[in-house]
Amino acid sequence: MSIVRINVGPIHPSTHGVLRLVVDLDGDTIVNVEPHIGFLHRGVEKLMENRMYMQSQSYTEKLDYLAPFSWDELYTSAVEQAMKKEVKPDAQILRVIMLEYQRIASHLVWLGTFCNDIGQIFTIFMWSFRERARILKLLEDLSGTRMFYVNLRLGGFYKPLPKNFKDRAYKLNEYLVEKISEYKDVIEPDPVFNERTKNIGVLPKDKAIELGVAGPVLRASGVRYDIRKAMPYYIYDKLKFKIPIGYKGDNFDRYKVRYEEIFQSIKIIDQALDMLPDNPDILGQPIKLINPNANPDIVVVHRELPKGEGIIYMVPDKQRPYRISLRAPSFINTFAINEISKGYKYADLFANLGSLDIVLAEIDR
Amino acid sequence: MNDDLLDKDERFLNAEKKMSRLVLQASKKYKTPVNAMFTRLSDFTKAVSKGLIRWGRVNSLWPAQFGLACCAIELMDFGAARIDAERKGYLLFRATPRQNDVMIVAGWVTKSMVPRVKRMYEQMASPRYVIAFGECATSGGPWWESYNIIQGIDQVLPVDVYVAGCPPQPENLFAALMKLQEKIRDKHAGSKEPTISEDIKRAEISGIHLPEEDNSSRL
Repeated sequence: MSIVRINVGPIHPSTHGVLRLVVDLDGDTIVNVEPHIGFLHRGVEKLMENRMYMQSQSYTEKLDYLAPFSWDELYTSAVEQAMKKEVKPDAQILRVIMLEYQRIASHLVWLGTFCNDIGQIFTIFMWSFRERARILKLLEDLSGTRMFYVNLRLGGFYKPLPKNFKDRAYKLNEYLVEKISEYKDVIEPDPVFNERTKNIGVLPKDKAIELGVAGPVLRASGVRYDIRKAMPYYIYDKLKFKIPIGYKGDNFDRYKVRYEEIFQSIKIIDQALDMLPDNPDILGQPIKLINPNANPDIVVVHRELPKGEGIIYMVPDKQRPYRISLRAPSFINTFAINEISKGYKYADLFANLGSLDIVLAEIDR
Repeated sequence: MNDDLLDKDERFLNAEKKMSRLVLQASKKYKTPVNAMFTRLSDFTKAVSKGLIRWGRVNSLWPAQFGLACCAIELMDFGAARIDAERKGYLLFRATPRQNDVMIVAGWVTKSMVPRVKRMYEQMASPRYVIAFGECATSGGPWWESYNIIQGIDQVLPVDVYVAGCPPQPENLFAALMKLQEKIRDKHAGSKEPTISEDIKRAEISGIHLPEEDNSSRL
């Protein structure tokens, strides 16, 4: 039988951005998927090499716009390491709280759009955006902006904590647990959801390690690897939480891992809020020039982003980085689409792509 | 059958004559200038239907489901439950340009994206409106120095409304769409300025190098 080649994208409602896929089909079965990227390329790394350290913060947060603070924190800690600056203990706790809220927000957007792709049109989408709006409102009061919080400074934050933050956060956590645990009663009994996710898009354990995928995609294949446990940073080694893993590595496991991670994140935030004093000392210093006497070495920082492991490799210079390189988890996860779609039907392609949770701005950079 | 049709036509003509006579009488009675009134029924119906069409256009703007970058998340929030956009007539987001009236350009436009965005605009039925949503679509935003970015979508498409912010809040998009409605009511929007494909000189002025599309793996 002859092979038909179909072009998908770059403008397509289900590719989660401007991704182009060239799909080879034998009948209705996928033979090969080739992702073409680069439609959002704007040269972030080159731009960052031509900016002062403080200016680059607004570039890093636009890499993953579902969880902007995560990349922002990764970049700022790279600069902190280059300047050999310690983070204040209270600021560490608050950073963990913000990071976990960002993880929840990112997973909620993913859950809503994934359910749209699967066929549960708009029910979960509306609910998850309702919950996300609450989280963004809390973080807006903390930082001053709704989506892109450029509120990190050397060793802390640029603004003191607003009043009633702790009470509001506790209340929000109660609300989130109550509402998000309702989701699974809608999602999981649905025969359409089960048909389109169970045993579809299987990524075996050895293949996942071979491809180098990261984050929930890797953990769904049964690999218990999380930077928060493997190389704990901030206060993560003092907190009690579990790393949910899947067993088969199919779409359902990837959904389940992210869904369970939301509850683990809420648990982390509750513990961190208990540790946070009432009047925390979180103010940092503005990022200025690196002291020439410090003689900074090459900096490599690992962080567990909502999409997977993010790494910054930086060769610091006095005013601006001499060279900066970003390892974006979505970039590597995208290329697993070929492995998990081969042999399945064309209709499963967007369920598989949605389950990888990619952000195109992070891929193209 | 034919006789019936003729009868109907005659009746229609008679009605038109009667209408114009009435209008003339009325204009004499109230001493208004004749030009200000409708002297013929066809003018009257035309005026009514034009108003009706514009009213319909104003109150059912269908945006394109087309997101490029970060601002697309705020576009999704605009379509979600917090802001009930349908109460003003901004109905469902449609994934095909043939069913769209408004294109909301949400995000930075790279040089490789320009021909695609332009083609999508050309596939939309006239009258079509463009909203530049966010700093990147307005002026290039933080990437304005980059080698792969055009400094605003207005170098390629005629833009009706600009929305400031990085990213603008969903409420701002709501305000922008209300602004667009005002413009359509006053007949200023839906600019007939030529696009780059129609006006090569404009492309040369703005200095955009348009890459040729690769047809290697297209259907």
